[in-house]
Amino acid sequence: MFGLIKTWKALSARGIMGINRRNADYVLKYNKRSLYPIVDDKIITKERAIEAGIHVPEMYGIIETEQEISKLHDIIKDHNDFVIKPAQGAGGDGILVIADRFEGRYKTVSGRIISHDEIEHQLSNILTGLYSLGGLRDRALIEYRVTPDPIFKSISYEGVPDIRIIVLMGYPVMAMLRLPTRQSNGKANLHQGAIGVGVDLATGITLRGTWLNNKITKHPDTTNAVDGVQLPNWDGFMKLAAGCYELCGLGYIGVDMVLDQDKGPLILELNARPGLNIQIANDTGLTLRTHQVEARLAELKAKGIQETPEERVKFSQELFGHVPAHD
Amino acid sequence: MRALTLHLKILIVLLVTLGVGLTAYQIFVLGIPVTADETDDLWNIDAKIEFVASPREPVKVQMFVPPLNQEFVSLNESFISNNYGVSINRVDGNRRVTWSARRAEGRETLYYRLVLTKRYSGEQTKAEGPIFRDSIPLEGPEKIAAEALLSPIRQHSADVETFISEAIKRVNNPNDDNVKLLLGGDASTENKARVIEIILSIAHVPMQRVHTIQLSDEAQTPELWLRSFNGERWLYFNPETGEQGLPEDRLVWWIGDEPLLTLEGGKSPEVTFTLSNSEMNAIRLAKLTDENTEASFLEYSLYGLPLSTQQTYQIMIVIPIGVLVILVLRNLIGIQTLGTFTPVLIALAFRETQLGFGIILFTLITALGLSLRSYLEHLKLQMLPRLSVVLTFVVVLIAVISLFSHKLGLERGLSVALFPMVILTMTIERLSITWEERGGNHAFKVGVGTIIAASLAHALMSIPELVYFVFTFPAVLLVLVGFMLAMGRYRGYRLTELFRFKAFLKD
Repeated sequence: MFGLIKTWKALSARGIMGINRRNADYVLKYNKRSLYPIVDDKIITKERAIEAGIHVPEMYGIIETEQEISKLHDIIKDHNDFVIKPAQGAGGDGILVIADRFEGRYKTVSGRIISHDEIEHQLSNILTGLYSLGGLRDRALIEYRVTPDPIFKSISYEGVPDIRIIVLMGYPVMAMLRLPTRQSNGKANLHQGAIGVGVDLATGITLRGTWLNNKITKHPDTTNAVDGVQLPNWDGFMKLAAGCYELCGLGYIGVDMVLDQDKGPLILELNARPGLNIQIANDTGLTLRTHQVEARLAELKAKGIQETPEERVKFSQELFGHVPAHD
Repeated sequence: MRALTLHLKILIVLLVTLGVGLTAYQIFVLGIPVTADETDDLWNIDAKIEFVASPREPVKVQMFVPPLNQEFVSLNESFISNNYGVSINRVDGNRRVTWSARRAEGRETLYYRLVLTKRYSGEQTKAEGPIFRDSIPLEGPEKIAAEALLSPIRQHSADVETFISEAIKRVNNPNDDNVKLLLGGDASTENKARVIEIILSIAHVPMQRVHTIQLSDEAQTPELWLRSFNGERWLYFNPETGEQGLPEDRLVWWIGDEPLLTLEGGKSPEVTFTLSNSEMNAIRLAKLTDENTEASFLEYSLYGLPLSTQQTYQIMIVIPIGVLVILVLRNLIGIQTLGTFTPVLIALAFRETQLGFGIILFTLITALGLSLRSYLEHLKLQMLPRLSVVLTFVVVLIAVISLFSHKLGLERGLSVALFPMVILTMTIERLSITWEERGGNHAFKVGVGTIIAASLAHALMSIPELVYFVFTFPAVLLVLVGFMLAMGRYRGYRLTELFRFKAFLKD
């Protein structure tokens, strides 16, 4: 009992945010429920992003009804590789990644050969809501396949590593690189076994990582060190993330981005309830940083100033950058 | 935000105060018992009146019955007689029943039965009584003896109270010559009371005779006590011992000098008292009292509902407690459960099946359902048909389990039908979605969390004392709401997070 109180105090002193605090002080306070569809539906997110001039993977087409499935041929005729996603899928379910064509059939990233009929069946499943939360009818999205930048080759196992930045009212607060592992089946979700690696906001250099709630320094599959890697185009990521506040209007979001080897930073999706493991990856509590941002917001509000995304990025980088090096 | 917080705080304080206040009112003012096990003594007093009626003459029997204006509450009162008219009237603080008949013959028996208890004393009416009286005229040696007695009593007393007890003490001294003279050789209580009255009257202190019955199982006749008004309240004295204050178990039957029974048109009347004691569940007693008094505090409680409805409400009213368990488990402890209220619904189902058996059945059906679901997964069915198949399967499964357990002579197995099928189906569905999205490990954790939460909720919801308490004092629910509101702003860590973030404290 006494040990627990000690743990509580220590965590609290380091500003570690718990689920209750995240829900009460951030998600409920800054995220208007009516805006959730914007982030829950990847198609709406994408349309909003395109309008706002934010880079996203190019959309090839949408399939909304069973009749439209026959349009698939037209949609993909110019593309050798593409991705089919449910618009409201969760946890990376129902995503089909086609890497190439093979004698009238298709080849997935894992090398499996599937027929056109199988793709159509998958589309039908998506439409009936097999992968959507709550089993509601859904739409299928066919989009550009992201090819991860070669920089990640040494510290990633299959799949596409992505970068998550938590953004409070447009201010980037904390960043993490998510690396798929063999255990996560190439998916970049931490609770499925992917690694989270903290990223210094100012420089884009990776810190140590977290895997299944533990701290780690090496990728379990490749055994290469995950820290000290310089992410290219880091300022681009920061600006993308900061601009997402204007895009969706939600004040507390996790922005998931990828680094494409040709197109640079792209936004994959937004999350209205970002997880808390990012704190372990960065070895820092979120609450300390969010409080600083909130203080800044109050200060600016008193002056009646609204900062641009560039100014917000600068503020965050000055304040939260240079995370003290690990001993 | 701050205004909102203040608003919330005021609301919480308001709800909790209201809840506690109402409950306290019910407990302390209305005197509703706090537990169902609380029992009260119930006294059953039978007065049997026997006499021989004279032929060809109307019969009229008058008897005093308790006035019941003190700490006793009558629950039931009956006058049992054959062919007699009964009327009750109040005279000078007494109650008197009159049985009358035009014609009666031979040995007659009448009964008076009173069921009473000591509970729920209403407001005490302000006592009033005489504080002065004229002296009883005395002559000759008696006058001298009385006056001789009076002066030492005066010396040894300070007020009415001590004066009376001193007088009683003197009268009970058999060696005092003055007393001997006044008593005239008759040392009965009646006679002592007479002498005491004489002495008191010389000092102008009024005195009344009080006839009491002791609440005990022994056969008895009414015992004579004396009382006097000291300007504020009545003081009761035992004329034999000078003991002051009426014992708790003494019930005033009537006051005054008249005999208990008067009989016209008959002879050799005889009254015998029989008392018996029984215990009664406090809330039933409260209901009985309620029917017999004007204060109907139970009328607007849940006890005012028809009995069958009451049973339903006894289940319903504890649901918030189950919900509270889930709230604490999820937000304070951090146990993951399937949905928010599924565990409460499962806990309700456990009521019928019993806990152990319920868990076994639940696990069995869910496991079989899950394996069916994963098999259907291979067939690539759409959601609605898939759910329908699972639901049908659950129904069949339940029927099979009932059939088997019946054949095996396990009657308990039949209760499985009470497991709400839709809850089971939804549990299976959600569990399998969790399985796919977050892996078998997580699904297992959630499943176990659900069972733990349901068992805990069930355990709490079936504590009879708690059910009784919430059912009797529904205002407690307001306190619960207050707590739930407060939980809505709880920002502290969950217990499991302390372990989850342990990595922070390692170096």
